[in-house]
Amino acid sequence: MLLTFSLPYFQTHGIRAPAFTVLGTKATPYNVAIWAKQHGMDQSYFVRFWQYATQVLFHFNLGRSYKENSSVWGIISLYVPRTIWLAASALMLTTIIAIPLGIYQAARRNTVGDYTATGVAFVLYAMPSFLLCMLLLDAFSFHWPHLPNSPPSGVQAWAMFTSPEGFILPVAALTMLGVAGLSRYMRGTVLEVMVQDYVRTAKAKGCSSRRTLFKHAFRNALGPIIVLLGLSIPALLGGALIIESVFNYAGLGIQTVFAATNLDVPTVLGITLLVAILTLLGNLLADIALGLVNPRIRIEGNAK
Amino acid sequence: MTDLTERERIAVPEPPDVPIKLTTDDEIVPMWKQRTRIFLHNKLAIASVIFLGTTILACFLVPVLHPTNQTNQALTFGTVWNAAPSWHHWLGTDSSGFDELGRIFYGGEYSLTLGFVAGFITIVVGTTYGMVSGFVGGITDTVMMRIIDAFLSIPYIFLLITLISIFNRSTVFLICIIGFTLWWGNARIIRGDALLIRNLEYSQAATSMGARKWHIIRRHVFPNSISNIVTVATFSVADAILFLSALGFLGLGIQAPQTDWGTMLQAGTSQIQNGFWWEIYPLALVFILVVVSINYIGDALRDAFEVRLLER
Repeated sequence: MLLTFSLPYFQTHGIRAPAFTVLGTKATPYNVAIWAKQHGMDQSYFVRFWQYATQVLFHFNLGRSYKENSSVWGIISLYVPRTIWLAASALMLTTIIAIPLGIYQAARRNTVGDYTATGVAFVLYAMPSFLLCMLLLDAFSFHWPHLPNSPPSGVQAWAMFTSPEGFILPVAALTMLGVAGLSRYMRGTVLEVMVQDYVRTAKAKGCSSRRTLFKHAFRNALGPIIVLLGLSIPALLGGALIIESVFNYAGLGIQTVFAATNLDVPTVLGITLLVAILTLLGNLLADIALGLVNPRIRIEGNAK
Repeated sequence: MTDLTERERIAVPEPPDVPIKLTTDDEIVPMWKQRTRIFLHNKLAIASVIFLGTTILACFLVPVLHPTNQTNQALTFGTVWNAAPSWHHWLGTDSSGFDELGRIFYGGEYSLTLGFVAGFITIVVGTTYGMVSGFVGGITDTVMMRIIDAFLSIPYIFLLITLISIFNRSTVFLICIIGFTLWWGNARIIRGDALLIRNLEYSQAATSMGARKWHIIRRHVFPNSISNIVTVATFSVADAILFLSALGFLGLGIQAPQTDWGTMLQAGTSQIQNGFWWEIYPLALVFILVVVSINYIGDALRDAFEVRLLER
């Protein structure tokens, strides 16, 4: 965990002075020197790293933004609910769509439906995500102008309920990207489970094919998929970053890009740290869920 | 989903559609020949190889054989900006007046070079790390894998943006940064392989006969994990190209006057509502086909290395 943020932090200062992007290009050397002293730039890397680490770990203080007149935590708490709404709704839709699709593809292997779905997934997977967003925008908000091209620009998290139509395109884009990856995994996993002995046993004892598929194959395929869902959180938030930039969706991603281009180092580090914690939480939830669907893991845990 | 029992094929692990004649009775066919045959049996894979090869050749040869101005903005004042395709400019011109077709090849040089070089770095670093971690095992393995976990918990694009905005944006630096940060997943996969093979009977037999560790890695572990290494390398190339395009969209890709496909697509899509289709769709098609074919070659290579499909 320490390493997670130490690496960027070690490399942050000195190479390109953040002072100029904050004070402007016309800043005099005197101003820059004062600014650097105020932010502790005259101290060594190790001192600064130690200060930052103690400040974060013991005081839960992420520091102040260089660029905005606000603490980093203030920025994060302002924008994080919207990003979580975006990511969570996309993750939910992805799961709802991709798992049945993957099972369908596995059950109807090498049919037209399977080939179509695989082909579409391949293309979506190979497409830069911003291109997909742009094509969606072009189609649904320009040629057939039914949907607004960006969600309401306020930062209220509940805007998704008051004016949901603005959120359709970003969520749809993120969902499509997720489905492209997950359905292929689901198909592969179900196919792998289908060749196991217990599935053959189920068939041999006269189980109907539907019962075999859902009762025996599906439940055993769920384990890897849950792990994958937990691991997909970084990819999801990374995708959200691009999608937020395209749709001008006021969230963490767009804030990261803004901070990074302005060398607002504390903000970038704070957001990265938060996202890493979210990822760890996701993995933890995945582990717990794995225990729920797989009794073997639960028993092992209790036995110890 | 009613007649699953009729679909007994599900129970068969990915059989080759037509039995491939791999061996004859009186000669032993070398393994690489068998693998080549399996690969060549896959028609889509051949198509992918041909397409990718043609694109690479075109990207590097066409700008030499038929040079178009792609860097000098001053020379574009004579041309019409955003001009529709014509006999003179086959795919029109872009918003700076550069010939679009020539620019696809020119940007391709950067995108493809970066993809392949970064993919190569990725696989070298990832293989070394994974091999060491998996083979040495014990506490070393645990520590090395925890380090990977820490890195994997940061979304990749966040890390790229941070590093690039802090350091510079030169092409060499982009290659290095993508190459030296994309290998974490690969190292994990290869570590799993190394760990598995180290504990297989033939490795242990070699150990008990007094083989050195280096010998076991070279003779047993590496050759037997080559299938995953090659497959993962192929996918890394595709990923590197995709990540470069995402950076291009954010304006952090290869900087002007040079360009890459991501930056070009971004410039094209910012004109999407003016109806300048020639700035988007030809390039998008080439881009998607290149990434799809790289992924497809990866799939076909995995099949070719699949031992179950070999007959000996």
